[in-house]
Amino acid sequence: MKFLFNTGRTIRQGKYIESKLGQGYAEETSLCHIHPLDLLDLGVDEGENVLVKSEVGEVVLEARADEGLPMGMVFVSYGIHCNSIISACTHGTGMPDFKIHEVDICFTSEQRKTPAEILEQLGGVTYAGN
Amino acid sequence: MQEIKDMVCPFCGCLCDDVTLEVENGKILSTDNCCTIGNAKFMGKNRLKNPIKKVDGAWVDITYDEAVNTAVDLLLDADRPLLYGWSGTHGEAQCVGIHMNEILGGVIDSTTSVCHGPSILAIQEVGHPGCTLGQVKNRADLIVYWGCNPIEAHPRHMSRYTTYADGYFLDNAFRNRKVIVVDVRETETAKVADEFIRIKQGGDYAVLSALRAIIRGKGDMIPETVAGVTKTQLMQVADMCKTCSFGALFFGVGLTMAKGKYKNVRNAIELVDELNRHTKFTLTPMRGHWNVYGANEVFSWMTGYPYAVDFCRGVAFYNPGETTAIDILARKECDACMIIGSDPAAHFPRQCVEHLRDTPVIVIDPFQSMTTSFADIQIPVAVTGIDAEGTAYRMDGIPIKVKKAIDSDYPSDTEILTRIYDRMLEVKGL
Amino acid sequence: MKTLLIKNAYVIDPIQKISGETMDIAVRDGKIVDDVKNPDQVIDATGMLTLPGGIDSHTHICGTKVNFGRYMSPEDMRAGRTSRKGDMHATSGYSVPTTYGNSYRYSRMGYTTLLEGAMAPMEARHTHEEFRYTPLQDCLANTLFDGNWFALEAIRDGDIKRLAGIIAWYLSAAKGFGVKLTNPGGTEAWGFGDDVTCINEPIPHFGITPRDIIVNMIEANEMLNLPHSVHLHCNNLGKPGNYMCTLDTYNAIPDLNDKRQSLYSTHVQFHSYGGSSWNDFCSKAEDIARSVNDKPQITIDTGQVMFGKTTTMTADGPMEFNLYRLYHNKWSNHDVELETGSGIIPVHYRKKNLVNAIMWSIGLELGLLVDSPWQCILATDNPNGAPFVKYPEVMALLMSKNYRDAEFETLHKSTGKRVILPSLDRELTWDEIVTMTRSAQARALGLIEYGKGHLSEGAEADIALYPINVDTTDPARDYERIINGFSTTEYTIKRGEVVCRNGTCTMESNHSTYWVNPHVPPAYDMGTDAAFIDGFNKYYSMRITNYPVGEEYIGRNVCMESEASL
Repeated sequence: MKFLFNTGRTIRQGKYIESKLGQGYAEETSLCHIHPLDLLDLGVDEGENVLVKSEVGEVVLEARADEGLPMGMVFVSYGIHCNSIISACTHGTGMPDFKIHEVDICFTSEQRKTPAEILEQLGGVTYAGN
Repeated sequence: MQEIKDMVCPFCGCLCDDVTLEVENGKILSTDNCCTIGNAKFMGKNRLKNPIKKVDGAWVDITYDEAVNTAVDLLLDADRPLLYGWSGTHGEAQCVGIHMNEILGGVIDSTTSVCHGPSILAIQEVGHPGCTLGQVKNRADLIVYWGCNPIEAHPRHMSRYTTYADGYFLDNAFRNRKVIVVDVRETETAKVADEFIRIKQGGDYAVLSALRAIIRGKGDMIPETVAGVTKTQLMQVADMCKTCSFGALFFGVGLTMAKGKYKNVRNAIELVDELNRHTKFTLTPMRGHWNVYGANEVFSWMTGYPYAVDFCRGVAFYNPGETTAIDILARKECDACMIIGSDPAAHFPRQCVEHLRDTPVIVIDPFQSMTTSFADIQIPVAVTGIDAEGTAYRMDGIPIKVKKAIDSDYPSDTEILTRIYDRMLEVKGL
Repeated sequence: MKTLLIKNAYVIDPIQKISGETMDIAVRDGKIVDDVKNPDQVIDATGMLTLPGGIDSHTHICGTKVNFGRYMSPEDMRAGRTSRKGDMHATSGYSVPTTYGNSYRYSRMGYTTLLEGAMAPMEARHTHEEFRYTPLQDCLANTLFDGNWFALEAIRDGDIKRLAGIIAWYLSAAKGFGVKLTNPGGTEAWGFGDDVTCINEPIPHFGITPRDIIVNMIEANEMLNLPHSVHLHCNNLGKPGNYMCTLDTYNAIPDLNDKRQSLYSTHVQFHSYGGSSWNDFCSKAEDIARSVNDKPQITIDTGQVMFGKTTTMTADGPMEFNLYRLYHNKWSNHDVELETGSGIIPVHYRKKNLVNAIMWSIGLELGLLVDSPWQCILATDNPNGAPFVKYPEVMALLMSKNYRDAEFETLHKSTGKRVILPSLDRELTWDEIVTMTRSAQARALGLIEYGKGHLSEGAEADIALYPINVDTTDPARDYERIINGFSTTEYTIKRGEVVCRNGTCTMESNHSTYWVNPHVPPAYDMGTDAAFIDGFNKYYSMRITNYPVGEEYIGRNVCMESEASL
């Protein structure tokens, strides 16, 4: 199903901004908020996972119900998950389309990746010691 | 145990300066007056203990001297370095960054470009009818939050500056103020509004135009709905704006990131300009980081331009869309990066992060961030507001000294950047 | 320890009453001394007009609204770019240059001391940050009080001593220099979108009049024994017919100081308008000049307009909004809580625009009709009237009737019906021009005793050597030479060091911040006044403990202490 992809700040994402490799951040930034009626149409229950695909990539997120959203729009907090499917095109403004991608969403049984896993997949080398 | 009052929180653009910290043995035990995010900032743990360097794909510990020399080598070797971030450091450090960029002939940009850059583009077209936050607190009887969600992103904004704040000219401020929230979804902030306008995605521009038309007496030409908003509601809101004594419009990335980007902000500014012919109205962008506005101020007085400044020609050159960090990374144009006070690996589109991966990167940050994974070296520094101090600019342009509460062995951003800069000058014989 | 000897300098120093004498000037450790043996550096100043360093007593160069002007005007930045060169950092900007741009361009013109025209004390930190990066001039800041709630309350309560205590607290906290009033009462009214139109009309809420504000502030200022007088941007700036308001204001000014004026009235050109609308707009410079000539307690600066593009920026919020209504240009506004306001809008002064042509004429008329140059300072309210780099052109116009006539020919053809400029034959002399570009400023600002504006023994070694041979230059005819000569010094010397040589600046930094610290008796010390502190914390959006500017912001500085006579 097609949706508009809206991303932004949340209080929990802000709280964990200095511990992005921790559990709290991983959890908050991999949630996909969807209107309950859209969840019905998708055939997805809250707590199950969805595959979100844009023209540049795809990512697995956990579905959450949010009545405040309009139908046809999802919301994901800022983070490496949402940014993995956002295009770098800025239309000459310097600002990517953080709130105006069109995405395709469907149920998936795949597991979410943690930020650390996404980082590694991209080719990063996480610093382990402290 | 020591109680320190009136400390400044270094997280969001509210720059709250009424924070109390309880300190003992060089550690912060607790905070008072902070929001959740501010508290997390002050109580942050797991700082990087020493500089680290990636050698043959593995991290090793190094000294500050080695880190400085490596940074100097990496940057001087580059043809087109990018110095990015800046919003999480104090102004004195930002000034050093500008000087550094001048020597390097590189590009210096801040998180502005992915947040309120479009607001600045709009201001450069039509100006900025603004005021300081105390004006709003003392006078405003109408607050409009458009495309922003302060309860989540600027949690104390409403209690310090707007809805719940006591004002000189308002008896019983909370009762006498009206709050309008405009958004595409019903956020936490929308739930406490007197009037919530739900707009269809991409409809901000049309709704702003409709309001301007109504205020200019051309309400007749407005159709029954505009972007999902009824004409009745539009007329009601226009009336509230026109008949208030002092209206304050706050807006966020809901406008800058929506379709039209800076054009949305321009329209909002022009709406406020129009309202000033009828009553008093001001506009304030909800700046996200505690010192992103400071980066704009410093870049402006030093180079002439507020962000995205390219020095490859030897003079300051500014062209957002070309000289902004996202575009430079997406086009693979930079061949070295210094990232300070921000985390692009977490907040930039994947294509940009891939270029970070393929480029020498220096990270200056107290904490391990996502960008650390793509860095060649990371240099930990003191946290401004905790064990370092410096100047920051609030979202309304007010400069505040962010004081320190404890001492530590970490160098401040200014100290480490100055070391790098001085060594650069030495190497170049300047 | 550095010693310098300037030989064969042709000196004009009105404060010392030296009018064209050739002499040697000796410098040691940044000060002028009687003589030096085996000087480290010798400069042969033969053929060079040698003056004390220029002083600009009203210029907008550093702070919140200036920076607003910068970042909202990228087109202005593109109009004046220079690369890094030696010790000189890159610069940008034409009418609102970057701080380095301002400093280098002023230095090249021989200016060594600058008074920032308007600083809101709440944003003082910003001004001082920018002072730091204006490295070749000593900087001072005029501190805004026109809408200060605590001050307005004290005036309403008739408590001048408390008013003095409030001024003292704010000046020390902001590390400011002088008391500035911009559209007093008007900026507070603008807090709700109103303005004032008459100095005798009570302002909203506080109930006092602009006249009350002006007179009380003057009295309090003198009680504090501050070096500078109250510095006033009159009400009704820019409006046709506003000359009456200016005259009324002048008639209210007491004479309370025998060393200098009791009121510095700034950019008076903008306040000398006759007529009742734009249609019958005309010059009333004659009336204004007559009033000034009669009143030794008033010193003015002319606020000359020059043709071309520039950016207007003042604390006068309502006035800038009116300009927006007139020109529909991009407009910025910034009201500062409990204190003042500001507005910024770009403008373009055109020769063929009748109103602009009249404005240009008025500035020159003031310069020619005020008898004493000590009372008539040359300025453009940079950048409101014109960028400061145009000062040499203004000097040339005042010194040459030919030049004025030639320029007048190119203006709107009806200008002559609205102004009297063509009938004025006076040509200012060298002495008079030198007076109105440094000596008068030093006196007006109370800086003579701090060694500024003159070249006596013990004075600051701030010296400007211009490539002008006075003996072979007739300013009435050679106005091109005047313009070129005053535009670029051979040497600009600051604190005894050469900081600019033929337009190239040669030092990273060499300056101080001057600020005042008036001492008041404990009963009037706002730092311990419960009512003040409570009100402050309640209504400001910043805590009082975080408000004062710390010493770390002012680097090398001169603290001008004074004892209040309360």
